[in-house]
Amino acid sequence: MQRQRSLLILILVLIIAAITVIATIPIPLGLDLRGGSQLTIQVKPSADIPKITERELEGVKKVVEGRINGLGVSEPVIQTVGTDKILVQLPGVNDPEQAERVLGGTAQLEFRTQKPNTETQLLAFQASRAELKAKQEELRKSTDKAAIVKNQEDLQNSNQAIAELFESTNPPLIGKYLKDAYGEPTQGDNWNVAIRFDQQGGELFANLTKNLAGTGRSIGVFLDNELISAPTVGIEFAATGITGGSAVITGRFTPQQANDLGVQLRGGALPVPVEIAEIRTVGATLGKDSITSSIYAGIGGLTLVLIFMVVYYRLPGLIADVALLIYALLTWATFALLGVTLTLPGIAGFILSIGMAVDANVLIFERTREELQAGKSLYRSVESGFYRAFSSILDGNVTTVIACAALFWLGAGLVKGFALTLALGVMVSMFTAVTCSRTLMFLAITIPAFKKPELFSPNLPTSNKAEVA
Amino acid sequence: MKLSINKSRSLWWAISSAFILAGFISMVISWQNPNIKAPLRPSLDFVGGTRLQFERDCTKPGNCDQPIDINIVREVAKEQGLGDSSIQIVTDRDTGGQNGISIRTKNLDREQRTNLQNALSEKVGTFDQQKNQFDTVGPTLGSELFRSGVIALIVSFAGIIIYLSFRFQLDYAVFAIVALLHDVLITAGIFSILGLVLGTEVDSLFIVALLTITGFSVNDTVVIYDRIRETLKINPDRAIADIVDDAVNQTLARSINTTLTTMLSLFAIFLFGGETLKNFALALIIGFTAGAYSSIFIASTLLTLWRERNGETSVVVTDESIDTSAGN
Repeated sequence: MQRQRSLLILILVLIIAAITVIATIPIPLGLDLRGGSQLTIQVKPSADIPKITERELEGVKKVVEGRINGLGVSEPVIQTVGTDKILVQLPGVNDPEQAERVLGGTAQLEFRTQKPNTETQLLAFQASRAELKAKQEELRKSTDKAAIVKNQEDLQNSNQAIAELFESTNPPLIGKYLKDAYGEPTQGDNWNVAIRFDQQGGELFANLTKNLAGTGRSIGVFLDNELISAPTVGIEFAATGITGGSAVITGRFTPQQANDLGVQLRGGALPVPVEIAEIRTVGATLGKDSITSSIYAGIGGLTLVLIFMVVYYRLPGLIADVALLIYALLTWATFALLGVTLTLPGIAGFILSIGMAVDANVLIFERTREELQAGKSLYRSVESGFYRAFSSILDGNVTTVIACAALFWLGAGLVKGFALTLALGVMVSMFTAVTCSRTLMFLAITIPAFKKPELFSPNLPTSNKAEVA
Repeated sequence: MKLSINKSRSLWWAISSAFILAGFISMVISWQNPNIKAPLRPSLDFVGGTRLQFERDCTKPGNCDQPIDINIVREVAKEQGLGDSSIQIVTDRDTGGQNGISIRTKNLDREQRTNLQNALSEKVGTFDQQKNQFDTVGPTLGSELFRSGVIALIVSFAGIIIYLSFRFQLDYAVFAIVALLHDVLITAGIFSILGLVLGTEVDSLFIVALLTITGFSVNDTVVIYDRIRETLKINPDRAIADIVDDAVNQTLARSINTTLTTMLSLFAIFLFGGETLKNFALALIIGFTAGAYSSIFIASTLLTLWRERNGETSVVVTDESIDTSAGN
């Protein structure tokens, strides 16, 4: 009895916690429900880079991130998928054309020279750009689209103004001459970014640095026409420039900053072509229609199952219904806690798991009925109902989880969402069947009014009815 | 009422074989069909291409006065050099108005897509930007998706075999997989027929459906197996056919009820869920029905036949180690 009581308290606590979680953490909706564009960018090997490794992919991802920041989309998602793909989700973007145009090309990295007498202007522009960038970060968390677009325009103007302060060398020193770039620690806490050019690049770089050394004007490192770094060159290189093809950008970088810049440079140096392999765009209201109809489906399915259980199983059916509602609450809360993005197949997985969650209860009740019909006492019947059904419940659910694991491991995008929601649902349903239904059932049979075997099984032989435990 | 499934097992096998055979014939016909060239009619997800869906903006006065004429749409597509596209007029479920167009073509780039949209808009009316839908899938991505789907299916089969032979015995596991293959083949077969008759396409969600069917229908089989194992342990000397018949009958109410409750949810998705989920729910309805059938009539009868041929008692009595459900 002590154990029942503490389980009951545990269930109550879980219910309250679940309701709190559901009320406070909203479940993010997938693109198929809220509308937007999803692009899969395929990174292709080239003659120079015959195999795409994680390092290259990371570089391209950085470039893509930079370009998407330039689009001014709120809450974009950028992930690497597999060994050679990048998945980009742009919520709310109905017209993927701009995205396609911006994301499709190979990155352009260029080292340019600052024009004379523009030092103060550059400083001012850089300061205002930094301000705009900070504001953009801020805005991106909000949903104020107009403000994001406005800020984006300002940023573009600012980038344009900065770009005008620089000019290309002749011939231009572009990404293809850059062999490598990476952050490296120095003494103290500061990090530097080391860069290495090939032979031709080294010569161009020596020339460029020779011209700029000691003037106070900086080298403009541009990625996709945006200034990402503007180091100056010390006077000591005025004679020959920085020769040998290697250089170090110093600047009190944190390890994170140094690494970021290194990845950006590498990405810009990659001569790998990218191609948009897939685009899916869903209009915003189309998604809304799907949500509404899916919610109808969910409520409809749940109601039918609840009614069926009471009609067929009577008192245990009612208990199963309570357990089922607790199940729905807990599962929903688990989704919220784990940050599951809800997609259309995800909803289907959830609805399906409601139907399947009943299975455990059905197994238990069928077993209880059998034991009752075999003449056992009510308490013993309920007890062995739970005990005997457990191995079936376990085996059945483990096999479902195995299938889900295969889906999750090998599937992509939407498929993963379905597998995750179904697997979570199955696991929560095992918990609720074994603890909630059980506790409530044992609680029920301690109440004298419920202690009638006919409430648990119709058509019992009369001899059994007399024998109440 | 008691079912003696083992008495008429050749009948059950004949029914299943007939269904599977019909599916195979349909797959062969589909394969020969120059428009399909595959056992099941593949969607964009697998072969690549572009699908566009437009819907007219009916809030604008006069925009939706007449239903969209499919011939005009075909004409426009032809002008754009897209004569071989498949074009459908989409009827709105709520209003019954014919205001949507769905076009499937070869891979279109940005410009071609915009041109097509503008040309169409000029002829049939203004489209609601909020309801546009574009999907473009490159051919390599599609085949990759297909491959990973098939691998997922094989991996989960292997996982289930391993788990079941660990929990039961290898022969149980093998027949459970036979039953699973049966369910998958019947579902694929019926979808192949639907593809021929109604033009139903299979997309990546279809593979998801097949995997869910495997997970769910093996569940059914396991419950019956569990009962067989339990009875065998108490009565090792009874004829296996009797034991299996009993196990099926004892679990029959459960099989029916579980299938029923799951079907209730599935019919809800089928009827009310969005367009995307319709075929998905249909595949599950077919697969789960086949799964309930195969657990009762195929997996258990095959197990009986196998054990009858191989001397059932000696195998089972010695097998104590895997039993975890010892009765109290």
